[in-house]
Amino acid sequence: MTAVTLSLKTTLRQRLDVSPLMPDNLAGRDPAEIAAIALHYGNRTEPVGHFFDIRITPDGDGLTFSPGDARFDYLGRGMAAGSIRVAGDAGAYVGYQMRGGTISVDGDVGIYCGAEMKSGEVHVRGNAGDFVGGALPGNRKGMAGGCLFIEGSAGDRVGDHMRRGLIVIEGDAGAYAGSRMIAGTIAIKGRLGPYPGYAMKRGTLVLAQAPAMLPATFNDCGTHTLGFLSLLFRSPVLHGRAFADFARRPPRVRRYAGDHASLGKGEILVLLPDP
Amino acid sequence: MLTKLIGGKVVDPAHGIDGEIRDLYVRDGRIVAAPGDVKPDRIYDLRGKVVMAGAIDMHTHIGGGKVTIARTLLPEDHRADPAPRHGLMRGGCGHAAPSTLTTGYRYAEMGYTAGFEPAVLPINARQAHMEMADVPLMDVGGYVMLGSDDFFLRLLSSGAEQKLINDYVAWTIHASQCIGVKVVNPGGISAFKFNQRQLDLDERHTYYGVTPRQILQSLARAVHELGVPHPLHVHGCNLGVPGNVDTTLNTIAGIEGLPMHLTHIQFHSYGMEGDRKFSSGAAQIAEAINSNRNITADVGQILFGQTVTASGDSMQQHANAGHANPNKWVCMDIECDAGCGVVPFRYRDKNFVNALQWCIGLEIFLLVDDPWRIFLTTDHPNGAPFTSYPHLIRLLMDRSFRNEMLARISPDAAAVSHLGALEREYSLYEIAIMTRAGAARLLGLSDRGHLGPGAAADITVYSEQDDKERMFAAPDYVFKDGELVVEKGEIVKIVWGNVHTVKPEFDRGIEKHLRPYFDRYLTMNLDNFVIRDWEIEGDGRSNLLVHPCRQGASA
Repeated sequence: MTAVTLSLKTTLRQRLDVSPLMPDNLAGRDPAEIAAIALHYGNRTEPVGHFFDIRITPDGDGLTFSPGDARFDYLGRGMAAGSIRVAGDAGAYVGYQMRGGTISVDGDVGIYCGAEMKSGEVHVRGNAGDFVGGALPGNRKGMAGGCLFIEGSAGDRVGDHMRRGLIVIEGDAGAYAGSRMIAGTIAIKGRLGPYPGYAMKRGTLVLAQAPAMLPATFNDCGTHTLGFLSLLFRSPVLHGRAFADFARRPPRVRRYAGDHASLGKGEILVLLPDP
Repeated sequence: MLTKLIGGKVVDPAHGIDGEIRDLYVRDGRIVAAPGDVKPDRIYDLRGKVVMAGAIDMHTHIGGGKVTIARTLLPEDHRADPAPRHGLMRGGCGHAAPSTLTTGYRYAEMGYTAGFEPAVLPINARQAHMEMADVPLMDVGGYVMLGSDDFFLRLLSSGAEQKLINDYVAWTIHASQCIGVKVVNPGGISAFKFNQRQLDLDERHTYYGVTPRQILQSLARAVHELGVPHPLHVHGCNLGVPGNVDTTLNTIAGIEGLPMHLTHIQFHSYGMEGDRKFSSGAAQIAEAINSNRNITADVGQILFGQTVTASGDSMQQHANAGHANPNKWVCMDIECDAGCGVVPFRYRDKNFVNALQWCIGLEIFLLVDDPWRIFLTTDHPNGAPFTSYPHLIRLLMDRSFRNEMLARISPDAAAVSHLGALEREYSLYEIAIMTRAGAARLLGLSDRGHLGPGAAADITVYSEQDDKERMFAAPDYVFKDGELVVEKGEIVKIVWGNVHTVKPEFDRGIEKHLRPYFDRYLTMNLDNFVIRDWEIEGDGRSNLLVHPCRQGASA
């Protein structure tokens, strides 16, 4: 196996669609071939060599962007396997419709991170924009599998139209988290904006802190001890992070069922502090 | 400037010319007789090629509220089919509900030079015209929708004399700058708002007390008496409902000999036989068309794949909303005078109902004897996007291809259809009738759809090929009003089309009734409701072409 490193050598003035740069696509190509791949840049098309220095190292693995840039759009769009690492920021649609493999971004990402992804893992060490794991406007299904892990904070509408899979936000999340969720699980450790679970049909929002407000269309179902949460918190996809402190004991939660303005089979679980 | 087209094989059914080798001359946008010794400025060698008039799509939803809603509802349709800027073409997108520019380019690339929007709501007519004005390379026109509007239903239920109704219809044609009148689910759109979920031909509207039969007779008579060339354009009752073949046959009988055009008749030709209570009524419908010379029809063929249905028929669209794929739909009232329903659809060849719909449409095409009275449409985008016309033409012209396709659909549907036994293959001449000469005649466009001297030089030149789909998908040359606009599949010049209208005579006294009605009930002042000529011609791109109404109309 070989590893490919792409080093940005210019200052981007326009959005750059980096979706053709995927491990599968680059495997077995020499630097000259990679340099010739066409990328959409604003309203123009330029070859990879125009933007990046290309380095291929034997005995390595995956694709690395170093440094990253907040104008890299569609990073890992539809990727099926392999790994992409970004030493820095990335733009909108990171992991859009990805089907497998891993993406890790050291910095921040833009909107629609992990939108409509089906499988695989996206790990963001910084913050994410709106619509993490969401669906593009007009589409009926957002994230449908895999795992999205945001160490920083996320914007509004986390998991909009989410269908399946797991989203973990270690920081704060904006308004309308879990809006229109069809199913799936979202766990948020920090503070939460207004209207969580807006129009959710099914699915679970796990909150480490009580939200500042809940829509009136959620019913308080009292406190419960739910065994599945300790399994979830011990699961390897959480890397022993995030909710690890809750994993030591069977977590006790207050359960709110809703959104009754929609199907009403969803739930917001607020973890309770130790008695 | 004189242009000479040399040696093409001319197919011009309006003059009975079937494949004769002829030269054509074009001067100032018109076809002219051989001008003697004058030396042509440009010469095109069309030896070995087929020359026809530009094609006319007489029923295609290319403008107005529904199309806009369909575009808004389906951003994925546009995302999945981007059309980047290319040559003279500006960027656009879309497959089932393309942007206006893309609509014009794709029609022109297939050799179409005119398209008629069949559902112009009077109150939204301005928007429809503005949108159609943005469709390049094509002539346009609209049929104004009446029959579920309050003013008309009040007139009819109060027993108003026919003359008053005629005046109202004519006034509306003028005000909306249209070329014909359409009725959609007669009275049903209004009945839906009074909680009726079905309105059969002789069922009474619960509020106005009138029946669809009365509405059809009254409107068909109005259109006929006003001398409007295009007969009443009818989207009948019970669209898509199994067993509606009887309704359609009753509709044909009930019009009592008045001229009537039945649109997307495939959706109105369903029987209720068989285990699944869904069967083909094509044979009965075709027989009724064959024996009633006052009836014309376009098919509204479905073809498999993703599309969107956009209709004024909010009653039936609401009934079909459960089939929406992807699962989202819009049904709405339009200013208490009309309705609108947009439901995305994916027709699947392995689905029994869809496959049989496909068979029924083709059966109607093949069983109607007179190509002058049947028209090639998919009711774009309701049955399929207009870009599938070349495929449809091949299905009609090539029996072995048709049977090959038949072998791929749901075997249960294929087994109950007679399609495989139908041997007819359309000829080029018959295709030219359906898509050119017949359509122009049906609409009263005396200078379109043919290649005689005096005709507008809308000309399409094809290379004859065995694969008719390829042949009709990419003509060699397309001329629009004498300008070469498409050459070898590339758009080489952008021109803007005309707006075709009729202006029947009527008694202005109708405004005495309309003005207080507008002031009291409608959201627009009467003077603002009327679209003036300058609104259409003011941009310097569109020209209004007013076609004469029949002389001696009995009004």
